[in-house]
Amino acid sequence: MDNPTLWPLTALVFLPAAATLVLLLLPRDNHELIKRVSLFVTVIVFVATVIMALPGITGAAHFSLDADAVAEMQAVFQVSWIPSFNIEYFMGMDGISFPLLVLTAFIGMLAMGASWPITKHVKAYCVLFLLLETGMLGVFLALDFFLFYVFWEVMLLPMYFLIGVWGGPRREYAAIKFFLYTLLGSVLMLIAILMLYFNSDLRQLSDEQLVAAHVVPDQQSVAAWRSANPADGAAADVPRHTFNILALQQLGQTTDQFSNSVFTEGGKSIQWWAFVLLFIGFVIKVPSVPVHTWLPDAHVEAPTPISMILAGVLLKMGGYGIIRICYPICPEAAYDLAWVVCFIGVVSMVYGAFAALAQKDFKRMVAYSSVSHMGYVVLGLGVWSAVAPSFNADYWKMGMNGAMFQMIAHGISSAGMFFLVGVIYDRVHHRELDKFGGLFAKMPVYSGIAILIFFAGLGLPGLCGFIGEVLVVLSAWNFSMVLAIISAFVVILTAAYILWALQRVYLGPEYKGPHPEALTPITPREWSIAIPLCIFAIVLGVYPQSLFNYMSPSVDHTVDALVEWQQRQAPAALAEDDDVQRENADRDRVLRRDVESKSKGERQQPAPAQVRLGWNRASHDALPEPESRRAAVTQAGKG
Amino acid sequence: MESILSNLLLLAWLLPLASFCVILFFGPRLGTAGRGAAFVATGAIVSGFALSLTALILWVGTHGISGAHHADSADTHAADQTLSPDSQVAIDPSAAAVHLVAADHGDAHGGDHGHGRVGPKAAYFGDWYTLVDFDRLKITIGYYIDALTVLMFTMVTLIASCIHFYAMGYMHDELHDVTDHEVTLSNGEHLKRPGRYHRFFQYLSLFCFSMLGIVVAGNIAMTFVFWELVGICSYFLIGFYIERKSASTAANKAFIVNRVGDFGMIIGLMALWGSLGTFSFGGEKNDAGDIVKPGMFAQARAETDHYALKTPEAMVESARQMGAEDPEHTGHVLLIVAGLGIFCGCVGKSAQFPLHVWLPDAMEGPTPVSALVHSATMVAAGVFLVGRFYPMFTPEVLLTIAIIGCITLFMAATIAITATDIKRVLAYSTLSQLGYMMFALGVGGWVAGMLHLITHAFFKSLLFMCSGSVIHAVHTNEMTQMGGLRRKMPITAYTMLVGCLAIIGAGVPTLVGLSGYYSKDAILAQALHFGKNNAAWDVMFYVAAAGAAITAFYMFRLWFMTFIGQPRDPSRYDHAHESPRVMWMPLVVLAFFAIFVATPADIENFTDPTASPMVQLLEQARPDGTGIDFSGQLAGVMMPAEHGSHDEEIHLAAGMIAFGTAMFGLLLACCLYWWRILDPEEVRSMFAPIYRFLRNKWWFDELYDAIFIRPTLFCGRCIAQCDRGAIDWLIDHLAIWMRSFTAGFDRWIDRLFVDGLINWVAQRTYALGIWLRKPQTGRLRQYVVFIVVGTMAMYLLATFGLTN
Repeated sequence: MDNPTLWPLTALVFLPAAATLVLLLLPRDNHELIKRVSLFVTVIVFVATVIMALPGITGAAHFSLDADAVAEMQAVFQVSWIPSFNIEYFMGMDGISFPLLVLTAFIGMLAMGASWPITKHVKAYCVLFLLLETGMLGVFLALDFFLFYVFWEVMLLPMYFLIGVWGGPRREYAAIKFFLYTLLGSVLMLIAILMLYFNSDLRQLSDEQLVAAHVVPDQQSVAAWRSANPADGAAADVPRHTFNILALQQLGQTTDQFSNSVFTEGGKSIQWWAFVLLFIGFVIKVPSVPVHTWLPDAHVEAPTPISMILAGVLLKMGGYGIIRICYPICPEAAYDLAWVVCFIGVVSMVYGAFAALAQKDFKRMVAYSSVSHMGYVVLGLGVWSAVAPSFNADYWKMGMNGAMFQMIAHGISSAGMFFLVGVIYDRVHHRELDKFGGLFAKMPVYSGIAILIFFAGLGLPGLCGFIGEVLVVLSAWNFSMVLAIISAFVVILTAAYILWALQRVYLGPEYKGPHPEALTPITPREWSIAIPLCIFAIVLGVYPQSLFNYMSPSVDHTVDALVEWQQRQAPAALAEDDDVQRENADRDRVLRRDVESKSKGERQQPAPAQVRLGWNRASHDALPEPESRRAAVTQAGKG
Repeated sequence: MESILSNLLLLAWLLPLASFCVILFFGPRLGTAGRGAAFVATGAIVSGFALSLTALILWVGTHGISGAHHADSADTHAADQTLSPDSQVAIDPSAAAVHLVAADHGDAHGGDHGHGRVGPKAAYFGDWYTLVDFDRLKITIGYYIDALTVLMFTMVTLIASCIHFYAMGYMHDELHDVTDHEVTLSNGEHLKRPGRYHRFFQYLSLFCFSMLGIVVAGNIAMTFVFWELVGICSYFLIGFYIERKSASTAANKAFIVNRVGDFGMIIGLMALWGSLGTFSFGGEKNDAGDIVKPGMFAQARAETDHYALKTPEAMVESARQMGAEDPEHTGHVLLIVAGLGIFCGCVGKSAQFPLHVWLPDAMEGPTPVSALVHSATMVAAGVFLVGRFYPMFTPEVLLTIAIIGCITLFMAATIAITATDIKRVLAYSTLSQLGYMMFALGVGGWVAGMLHLITHAFFKSLLFMCSGSVIHAVHTNEMTQMGGLRRKMPITAYTMLVGCLAIIGAGVPTLVGLSGYYSKDAILAQALHFGKNNAAWDVMFYVAAAGAAITAFYMFRLWFMTFIGQPRDPSRYDHAHESPRVMWMPLVVLAFFAIFVATPADIENFTDPTASPMVQLLEQARPDGTGIDFSGQLAGVMMPAEHGSHDEEIHLAAGMIAFGTAMFGLLLACCLYWWRILDPEEVRSMFAPIYRFLRNKWWFDELYDAIFIRPTLFCGRCIAQCDRGAIDWLIDHLAIWMRSFTAGFDRWIDRLFVDGLINWVAQRTYALGIWLRKPQTGRLRQYVVFIVVGTMAMYLLATFGLTN
């Protein structure tokens, strides 16, 4: 198979890991040299991603904005890795992963630049840092579920040591907490991966789907593939399992592979369980309430650059996993649980904001603001507002785009916030909000930058935070008014905690804490880390289309695929019944359910007056209706 | 014409932004100590004014002063009627929910007042820039230009120009190092800091840019964007003296209270967006200039319905999608929610009850800021938005607006009576006047409300700048330390007198008056008109009339306490001096406008208030379909058409009441503070409980602290505690339990079972060894016996055992 992008992408991902070998050869005591080499590597990675992004440059691994290519997976390559389990070394990128890839490279570069104050075990630090970067880049590029999982775990260990060795006073506690939380997520994810793997069968896919999922390179080789994996004859009972994420998506959306019950007849389906397990795994990473408590501790104890990476990149993996894996592979469960997803998002927004209001530690406050801001991401992903009969997905698309934008915007603003907290921590070695004050007079440039970045977090128009938040909140209305109103309420709390913190730290007549003499203006090194963040914050706020050009075709593509799935579940006959059903809305619900399930449309009913308004939805859908639904799914899958 | 106008305004709008950027990057290096920053900012805004004025002249040149050309109005009007049969169809009573009794009424007046505008009003709209674009859903930066936009542009840039000049003098101290006497450091000294002259002008420029953005906005999302930006500018300007705790707290309060209003506004935006799918006022156009999606106004008031307000079809559809039993009704509720939501934002920005608490505190900012941001422009943006969004408000929402405005105008006026800080008196007066505007809009007086917005902008900025001039001279805000300053600073005193007369609406009834006379009379007339049509709500007219009396009282109390009588603090009096020319020139300019801005220009119709060019321009900008009576579906309220209030009977009655109440208030102030017939101290002790109530501003701050701020902080602490106490406790204890479980596992399974087995085997082996040791005696004879016995046994076994 011809793989022109194999080496460029491999080089991109593994360059940091390879560079660790060089680092090992360097003299241990030459800290400056080690840091410079590491920084050089991260800069190269960033420049490479920028070159990939620039329009007008052609090449194998270039991210194309051509109309026919932009929504699809690009620069795909695959090489067989562990053939006995059909595991492949399979990577590619689209508009969802590519911006996150650039963000990773960007934050990685800045975080390395922010690592200069590290003086303990510098070599080990840089080695772990670069390994971490390889893990992060790999997660966003992997298209094989197993490979994804490997990168996911590769990321975990360096992080554990970076927090546990270079962290603050309670570093061991924070590191083990981070590790256990994330490990729990990984284990659940692994279970889900295996569930999906052993229930998958590639032979169910049509020829076009096989090509689209890159199982076979082109239409011509389908026949050969089919004969190698016969669906009848002696080998008919030998399923062709796969870890291919794209193929799993197709299987989840167009076949009933994952619709069988797991434990008992009539119980929840495979994809329901897979969705729940995966979602918990990802949502720990996001993190959402109630599995967020690793974040404040990890952030507070981690050194500044690691906090930047954590907030800027690691949290995004949760959101990425949800949009790349949870939703497309398990659409049925996703539709069922949309309300749960949104509810978790809104609870995180409110909870994080309230908690941030009560914090006395500057970094902890910023950490809770991350919980709150990432709640927008979960909410935006979840607002499945396309319902029969129109299946208007415009608002959901807007929500998903807003969520993706919010991920990037939060990556910039929160990394900036952590960096800025780190700048003063390096000087005065404390973070007590009440023991600051008057920094504006002593560090005017720094304070100006800080106010800009914090306002970006506050969601001020013209800065990056605004776009994501406003798109998510606006799109929530058509899903649930109650949730939308609660999420709008958060703008008040956000303003309160950010302005209050700014007042206590930057304004006021004089500095109230220890080491006032150490408050010197920021150095050029710090300056050159903060300014790019400011520039991105402004550019994304003023010209958001620059990001949406890359992002929204793929996001829309994802949403369209899901809505197509939804429409297949609701046959045309149903639309005609719709009026009758609306009239019957108040009559015996059970009776109506039976009638409808015979007409194969149970799940796609608009569920009058409840779908949007909220609470009853869960109970409505919780009732089992296995037979009819499976019948519908099967028919739709074959049809 | 459209491209010329839009480009003129675009340039006028972007100039302050350019100025902001220049000062941001080069501020301290512009001239000595940043003096050049003032010139950059002033140059930008004055050019902006010139451009706006050009736009205004062009507008008037194209569209005339009144929509129907005035000079030959009778003919044109008749011609219009024959040309467009629509005007006749408009009387069709079948138009839902609308009573069109005003149609022939309009005819009666149309000839001479320009009410006879036929067909849609003149407005240009389009987009400059697309912020986000998801195929069918778009958020853009665009423009919506009608007479109101042009008028507001000119007004804002004119006042801003005056204030820029004024600020050059007022902020003079900031050119060198400043000792802030209001800030005491921990070592007991006063704070010394470098001046921030350039920064002040930087913020002012950003503010002008944001404010003009609201005015020119072509869709409500853009309004919201600049709404937030003026909020942040206001935050910076209120907190300009960042070292003062009171200033930074006031800035926070302003922004957060505004955010409460914005919360409502977002709900309104969601209700509109979720159903209509557009934010555009006029409509979304494609590249060819054709309207591809009708704007919000067109959806709510379709031309085919003769601009009668109907629930937009998209909202009904949205309600149907939600599964509403009665989609029409639910759609209408949705429209009301949208209207109330948008109004909520206006309540925050225009500091209406119950979100009025931030504005008095906002007086912590430098006085030019109070004049520009917190009286003339930003706080009026709320009123402007209500005016702009007027076509979408149902009568139910309008009634709410009227009630809120009425409460605010009365409450703020009463608080102003007892305030002694000169700027706070003016701040409460601003609240009260904004209440009047809201009230006017709420009772159907669109032109009255917008006219008051414009006249108020002039006289209130004048009043603030005069007070600033006084503060500049005596270095205190407390009126109890002033008195007799008329002799020291005559220009300030008499320009301020003009402002006071304008705000109380002084004039000769039925003849002529200052600008406030026209706007306040129009408001009261419409209120009376409204009261006549809605008997249940006629109390609001009396409240507004009482408010007029109180206004006259507190304004002249302020003027007398400051400028008349003996100096209360001789040392301050001795140091007082008239302000420099750069400060008093703007006062004179504004005083001129405060007198004449609403004066009828037509000599023949000099006594007719509606003959004023300002009124006619506003009449021209009146949203389509709002010049007629219409009543609500849910609440039994009827919004009377505004020209009804021009009836001789109503207008005369209202004018006389307004004159009477103002005179009463004025005379009372004279008795107390000029002629000294009554002693203020005695009056105060006579009404001690009321005085305390007013002096404490109706205890709003304390109330909000108790019911909002403390519970919110408490809730925050609870949640933070929940994190540590509940979730982390659970996690930590899970870990501890897990550890003790593994410890137990270790003890029982490993030690007892696994180790036990191993040990048991070892012990058995050992015992076996011990036992086997017994035969090992070391005696050779015994061994030989064993060998012999063994050999015998093997032999026997081999012989018999194997052969069998």
